[in-house]
This record gives sequence, C-alpha cells and structure tokens, in this order.
Amino acid sequence: MTGAPSMRGALMQPVARIFGTSRGAWAALAALFVILPLMFRSGTALTMMSLMGISIVFALSYNMLLGQAGLLSFGHAVYFGLGAYFSVHCMNAVIRADLPLPLPVIPLAGGFGGLGFAIVFGWVSTKRSGTAFAMISLGLGELVGSSVLILRSFFGGEEGVTTDRTRLPRLFGVSFGQQIEVYYLIAAWCLLCMFLIYRFTRTPLGRMCNAVRDNAERVQFVGYNPQVVRFFAFCVSGFFAGIAGGLAAIHFEIANSGYFSATQSGNVLLATFIGGSGFFFGPVIGAVLVSYLQVMLSDVTEIWQLYFGLLFVVMVMFAPQGIAGLLMMHRPLWSTGGLPKVAAAYAIALAPALVMLTGAAFIIEMTYHLAVKAADGPNMTFFTVPLAADHLSAWLSGGTLIAGGFILFRLTWPVVAAAWASAQSHKEQPL
Amino acid sequence: MTARALELRNIRKRFGSTEVIRGVNLVVDECERHAVIGPNGAGKSTLFNLVSGLIKPDVGSIALNGNDITGMPPWLINRRGLSRSFQVTNIFHRMSVWENVRAAVLWSAGERYAFWRDADKAREVGTGIDRILADFDLSNRRDAPAGILTYAEQRALEIAITVAGGANVILLDEPTAGMSRAETDRAVTLVRRISEGRTLMIVEHDMSVVFGLADRISVLVYGEIVASGTPTEIRNNPKVQEAYLGEETH
Repeated sequence: MTGAPSMRGALMQPVARIFGTSRGAWAALAALFVILPLMFRSGTALTMMSLMGISIVFALSYNMLLGQAGLLSFGHAVYFGLGAYFSVHCMNAVIRADLPLPLPVIPLAGGFGGLGFAIVFGWVSTKRSGTAFAMISLGLGELVGSSVLILRSFFGGEEGVTTDRTRLPRLFGVSFGQQIEVYYLIAAWCLLCMFLIYRFTRTPLGRMCNAVRDNAERVQFVGYNPQVVRFFAFCVSGFFAGIAGGLAAIHFEIANSGYFSATQSGNVLLATFIGGSGFFFGPVIGAVLVSYLQVMLSDVTEIWQLYFGLLFVVMVMFAPQGIAGLLMMHRPLWSTGGLPKVAAAYAIALAPALVMLTGAAFIIEMTYHLAVKAADGPNMTFFTVPLAADHLSAWLSGGTLIAGGFILFRLTWPVVAAAWASAQSHKEQPL
Repeated sequence: MTARALELRNIRKRFGSTEVIRGVNLVVDECERHAVIGPNGAGKSTLFNLVSGLIKPDVGSIALNGNDITGMPPWLINRRGLSRSFQVTNIFHRMSVWENVRAAVLWSAGERYAFWRDADKAREVGTGIDRILADFDLSNRRDAPAGILTYAEQRALEIAITVAGGANVILLDEPTAGMSRAETDRAVTLVRRISEGRTLMIVEHDMSVVFGLADRISVLVYGEIVASGTPTEIRNNPKVQEAYLGEETH
C-alpha cells in the first residue's frame, strides 16, 4: 500500500525516521550544538542559547505529561524550582565541605530533587486524570510557591539562595567562569536529556503512556493499571524537570521564588503547546521560539506578554497541532516536490497578513500608551515613527491597515487553496 | 469432569434502588463456547462488567480457572487470563492499528512497566503482532491511526486487542453489533477460529449466530438465569420460549 510507512503511528514515528533510525541525526544535532556559539558569538546570544537549552529540557519533560500521557499540569514549575534549589544547596554543600564533586554532575542533584517530590506529589495527583489532575497540580503549585516565603531556612525567603559555580572542584581545569563554558555544559546536558526522553517514548512504559492518554479504560483490560502508568510517567517527568531546574541554577547562580511562579508553569505549557505536543520535536521548537520571543519581544515592546498571549490564542484556535503539526502537514509535499508552489502562495498571503498585524499592533500600542502612560502625553513612537496617539488620523490609519490587510488577506485564501490542490495533484501523478 | 473456566455464585448487583443482577449462578467449562442471551435490559453487559472487574458485585463470588477473582481490578483479572471486548468500540484512537495491538501484548510479553528497554526491539513480539493483524485482515491497515478505520475494521481491531494478549478466557460483548449480514458471517468465522482451544463467553442478539456458534446457552431475564443448556435444550425450553424467544418472533 502506497504511503503506508508515512502514516505509521500518529505521533512519534515521523521522528523515528528523522532521528531514531540514524545515529547520524543525533551526531548532527550534537555538531550543531558545538558550532552554534561559533556562529553567534555575542554575550546576548550565548545567554539566549543557554536559556533555550534549559527550556528545551523543561518543555520536553512537560510533554511527557501533556503529549504522551495526556495529563494537563498547571504546576510543572514545582519540580523545576525544587531542582534548582536542590542544585544550589548541593553546590553550596560541595563548596563548604570541599567535596570532590565537579559542577557538571550538579544537575543530577536537581534531577533527584525533582524526582523525590514528584514521587510524593505524583502519588496524590496521578490517582486522577483530566480536570481533577489539572486542579490538583494547580493547588500543589500554589502550595509549594507559598512555602518559599514560609520555609526560609531552605528557600531563603524573598532573596532566595545564591551560590558561586566557579568555586566547585574543577574538571579538566574548567572553572565555568565564562558563559561559553556554561553554554557547553547546558548543551551537553540538553543533548543527553533529549536523547533519553526520546528513548523513553519508545519503552514499554512510554508506549503505554500513549495508550492511557487515548483510552485509560481499555488499558485496564490489557493488564495495565493506568494509575501506575501515570504515576511512573509523572516521576520521570519530574526528574527531567529537576535537571532543567539544576541547569537554570547553574546558569543564574541563584534559586528564588521566581522559579516556582505560575508564569513559569504557564510558559512551559505555552511553549509545549505552541511547538506542538503531539510530536517529539514540537516542544523543542516551542522552547526555542518562546525563549527567543521572551528576550527579543521584551526589547521591542513593554507589553510583549500580551502579544505572546495572542500568539497562543491564535495557535489554539487555528493550529492546535502546533508548529510541529504545521510542519508535518507539509511533509508529503516535500517528498513530491509540491512545496515551492505552496511556499510561493504563502509568500503572497504573508504580505497582507503583515499589514493587518502591523495595524493591530499599532492600535494596541496606542491604547497602551494612552491608558497606562497618560502622564507622558500623547506623543509616542511606533517602530521609530513618531506620532500623536490622541489624533483621529492615527486611529483611522490603524483601522485602515487592519481592514485593508484583512480584505487583501482574505483574497489570497483561494490562491493558497489552489496551490495546495495543485501540489496534491502533483503528488498523485506518479501513482 | 472438565475443569471450570468461570464460576459465578449467587452474584447480585444493585444500581441505586434497582437490582440489575439478582442472584446469578453460572458455570462455563474450559474450552466451551458459552452464549448469554436475553432481552434488552436483562443485565447481560452488567454481567460482563462484573466478571471482567469493571464493577464489583454486591454479593457473591467469581472464580476464574478455580481461583477467586471477586472484587479484583480489571488489570489483575486480565493478567490471570481473562480478556474482554466491548459492545461500543473501545480502542486507542490516535495510535496506529499496529500500536493498538502492541499495547495489548506488552504485559503478557513480560514488558510490564519497563522504562529502560526499547519496546520494539523484541522481535518475537513484533512477529506476534503481525500474525494477529493478518488473522484479522488488518495487515494492510497496520500503520493507519485506529480512529480513521471503517466501522467493521474497528470492530475487528476491538476483538484483535481482546485476544492478542493470549488470554484463555475470552468475553465478547456483541461482536457483530451493527454489522451487515456478510460482515457478520465473516465475524462468526473469525470468532470460531480465535475461540479454538480457549473458553469463550459471548453476548449476542443475533440468534443465528448464537445457535450456530455456542456449545451452551444461558438465558438471562431481568437479572436472573432462567435456563442454561445446549442449543437444542434451550430451543425446546417452554420457559425460554415464553420469556424470550416467543417475544422475539412477534
């Protein structure tokens, strides 16, 4: 049957051909991690890539719950934060007692810290699934978040607990004083975790997670206890979240209440969802994109979180499979050569879409300026263009951009549809 | 005397104020094909849910291969060699057909909750799955997500999942529900083949299927077994004709 191999499995198999079946792909990814800092040398870029590495591990750990086991957690930052605290305390203990533990093994302390608490909290929360699980995770997130300010001896109160990563015993003479050294440490852990998490999806437990996600009732009748499957998945997920927290602690040299914030739990959910929870590499894309947007958008606008939220809403409404889902949708076209046609149509549709978005951003920024920064007067700049936010003309031009952009954008839809149709017929010719 | 695969003693189950199962005693011998018939609402599916562990009886005991399984959760009963299908197709929709069957064989293949082994490395598991797919005419659909299969294909997959784990007692809840005549005939052939050397308990509305397939038949009416015997005995039983078969011919 034609096309059958490309249909194999709804989820992980496409990745199997890209990554799992060839060691070369993992080697290529490793090589990419090695050369990235040679291509982007600035301090900002190094910091951003380090954060991306941390986010990738965190998002992949989250997707073990959301994508694989169908568990929606609103409190994943708990295990990330505890991993960070355990790592910081471990580092300080090493420094104090002069233990022979080098920095590269510290994330394991975070991992085991995350695992330990995942065992305790998972025991409670994985008895349920669906909405009940989500509510319990939210409650546990609040519980641990508020403990930070109460249990001062462990959490250090408002200011948190600091450490100095350069004072640990050196391995091969590396002090980790420079960001590039930290980057490579994070990159190595990121690659290792990606590989292990990918392998996990292929184990009996990983496979049964998918079965529990699809139909927990039937799982009971093929010999598995769905609660146990969920519990184990939760523990493994907590372990990797803890490692991500440990990496973050090494990067920032501090653990504080911010690690536990609801924003942290929310961001990992957004990153995973925007990337595409149905695919192994979806959270990777999401983590990279969200880390990038957080740094770049916050430079451009003060209300970047609003745009970030809008992006999330748009993705949920129009592309629930995430960016990975959109990419996989085009995979058949890639092999049949229909892709350039579709890409050209997208380019045509992109221009009016950008006009529409510019208009929307224009209106949003003017509203924000008038509402929040009224004291500064009506004058502001939008993408370096100076303007008066209280002028009717400015609002009219914003409205015109939105309306005109939308009408033109709407007109390009048939073009895109036609390109798809022709690319598909292209595909059927060789049959 | 042949060994007893299933033995139900004085099973009672109440939902609210209604007693749905009212003191059922039933014995299914090893390697017997036993059909349970009865009018709608007689409690046939409830009986299956009780035996397979989905719900627990209020009173009474159930023994599987001579061992007490009363009150056990479904997965423990399944590990002891009893597997069931559902009247309403109950499969893993987003997983491929092959993955559906794999989910059904992992436990019996001894994989348990392992998170350090590759589930696909065990060659014999893979060939076993391929053989089951061939048995159920699903080989050409092995990579399709189960959710996009036709109704008849989903029904076949439902039974494939049920028997894949190698259970020796199989419970089929209306395997031919909603099927055309031709599909039903194919399904009956299939059921006959898969129940070879195993114990089969089947709920079925189609009387030609029941009388063609079953070694013994039990008639369940309002939560009670009113008769139990060979197809000939059941056909000639006046109580059955009155309570059930007569009603059908009107």
